[in-house]
Amino acid sequence: MTVVNQPVIETVRLSKSYRTGFRMKRVQALSELNLQVEQGEIFGFLGPNGAGKTTTIKILIGLAQPSSGFATVLGRAPRDPRVKRRVGFLPESPYFYEYLTAVEFLALTAQLSGVSRSEIPGRVRQMLKLVRMEHAAHQQMRGFSRGMLQRIGIAQALIHDPEVVILDEPMGGLDPIGRKEFRDIIVSLREQGKTVFFSTHILADVEMICDRVGIIVGGKMVEIGRLSEILTGEVESIEITLQGVSGKFRKGLERIAQRSIESGDLLLLTVKSEEDVERVLAIAREAQAKVRSIIPRSLTLEEFFMARVKSAGRNGGV
Amino acid sequence: MLNRIWGIAFNTFRESVRDRVLAALIVIAILVMASAKVIQPVALGEAEKIIKDLGLSAITLFCVLIAILVGGRIVYREVEKRTIYLLLARPVRRYEFIIGKYCGMMLVLGVSLVLMTAGFYLVLLLTGVKPEPRLLWAVLMTGFELAILTAVAVLFSTFVTPIASAVFTFVVYFIGHSTQLLRQLAAISPAPIVKFIGMFLYYVLPNLNNFNIRGDVVHNAPLNPLAMVLSIAYALVYTFTLLLIAIFVFNRRDF
Repeated sequence: MTVVNQPVIETVRLSKSYRTGFRMKRVQALSELNLQVEQGEIFGFLGPNGAGKTTTIKILIGLAQPSSGFATVLGRAPRDPRVKRRVGFLPESPYFYEYLTAVEFLALTAQLSGVSRSEIPGRVRQMLKLVRMEHAAHQQMRGFSRGMLQRIGIAQALIHDPEVVILDEPMGGLDPIGRKEFRDIIVSLREQGKTVFFSTHILADVEMICDRVGIIVGGKMVEIGRLSEILTGEVESIEITLQGVSGKFRKGLERIAQRSIESGDLLLLTVKSEEDVERVLAIAREAQAKVRSIIPRSLTLEEFFMARVKSAGRNGGV
Repeated sequence: MLNRIWGIAFNTFRESVRDRVLAALIVIAILVMASAKVIQPVALGEAEKIIKDLGLSAITLFCVLIAILVGGRIVYREVEKRTIYLLLARPVRRYEFIIGKYCGMMLVLGVSLVLMTAGFYLVLLLTGVKPEPRLLWAVLMTGFELAILTAVAVLFSTFVTPIASAVFTFVVYFIGHSTQLLRQLAAISPAPIVKFIGMFLYYVLPNLNNFNIRGDVVHNAPLNPLAMVLSIAYALVYTFTLLLIAIFVFNRRDF
C-alpha cells in the first residue's frame, strides 16, 4: 500500500485580480500560481516588491479569496476555522493594539486561538522568553521599537503551538543579532516537525535556512525547487587578479574579459571559459605581470534571482 | 464561540476605556448636568423640570456622540491599522468579529450610561430635586436607541472611513428623529417620486422618536408600557437586521 503525503500548503492555478484607483483599473496580482510545500520543510518565498508575495499569503490565511484556482492548507480551505487553529501567522510590518501591554496582547491572541484559560499564562511566559521580551512584558506596546514589535509578532504567531507557520517578511526591522535569533527560531521550528513558509527579499536568510525556494515575479512563479537544484554549483565564471600590467597589454586583456576592474596596480578580470584563462595568462606572461589569484565562481542565489527577475521582465512578467 | 466574541468585545471595551475621548465625553456630560445648579435661581419654579430635562438630554446627547464618534471607527480602524489580520488569521469567524465589536461598543455605552446616570442622580441630590426612580425609564429607552444607532455606526464602519461613517450615522440619527416629517412630506407632495422617496425613507430609516420618553417622564405624564415594550422589540429586530447586513458586507470583503 502506498501512502500519499498530501502537501501542507498547495495552490493550484491560483489567480487574483482586483480593481484599483479612480478608474477601477484591473490589476492582475497573481497569475496561475502553483506551489506545494511539504510537511516539515522551510520554504522561502522570494520575490521583488509588488511581485504578489503578500497577496498569496493573504489567500493562504483566508484574508482574501482567489479570483480563480484554489489554495489548500492542511488539506482544507484556508478560511476553515479547523485550519486556522493549526496555523500561525505573522503579517508584514505588524501593527498591534498599542494600548495593550505585551502580556495582555499575547493573552488575547491565545484566547482567540482556542488555548485553554488555564494554559494561557504559561504559554505567554514561554513565548516572551523565546523572543527575549520578558523585560518589556508589562509595558504598553505604544513605546515599542520596530524590532520589539517584530519579536512580539513571532510570539503571537507561535502562541497556540501551530503546525504550520506562515511569516510575511519576518526579518524586516531586525538588526543582525535579531535576524540571527529569528533564523534560529525558524530552524528550531523545523526540528519540532513544523512547516514554515516565509516570504522575504533578503536572500542571505534564504540561503542559510531554506530547504526549498519559490521565486515569484509579476504574479507568476518563475522558479521553484531545492536550492541545490537551482544553484547547480557549476562554474559560471573565473576571476583572475593580475598585478603590474602595463598600458599597452591592458586593452588586449579587456577585450577577452567579460568585465574588468582596475584598483591601484591590480587588475581584476572576469572571464567565461578555461580557454579565456589560457589567453589571459599568455598575455600576462608576455607583459611580465604577476598572477595574484585565479578563482572559479559558481552562480550565487542573488545572481540567479536577478537573472530570473530580469528575464521575467523581458517576457512581460513584471 | 462565546469565548472569542467576549475576547473581541472586551478588547474593544479596553481600547475605548484607555482612550481619552471617552473619559472626556463622560466628564463633560456630568459638568453639563451640574451646570443646572447655575440655572436654579432664575428658573422661576420650573427648576426641577429643567434640571431633570437637562440631565436626561445630556445623557442622551453625549452617549449618541460616543456611539457616533467611537462606534464609527471600531471596525474601520482594525482594517486601516491591519490588526484585523491578526484576528481573522485565527479561528475567529467574521460574524464573531462583527458581533464582538458591536457587543464591545454596547459595553462601552452601557458603562457610560451607568456613570452618567450616577452623575445625574448626584446632581439631583445636590440641587435638592427628588431623585425619582421613574426617570430611569427614559435612560433605559435611550439605551435601546443607542443599540440601533451603534448598529448603524458598525454597519457603516465596515465599508466607509470613520469620518464618513460618523456623518452618515449622524444623518440617520437626525432623520430618525424626524420621520413624521418624511411622512407628512410624502402626504402633501404632488410629485410621485417625492411621495415614493418620502415613504421609502419613512419605512427604512429607524423611527428614533419612539425612544424619546423624556418629556413624559419629566412632566409626570403616564407612561405607556405597551408602547415601550413594542419600541424595545422594534429596537431588537432593527439592530439584528443591521448586524446581519454588516456581517454580509464584511463576509465578502478581501483584506
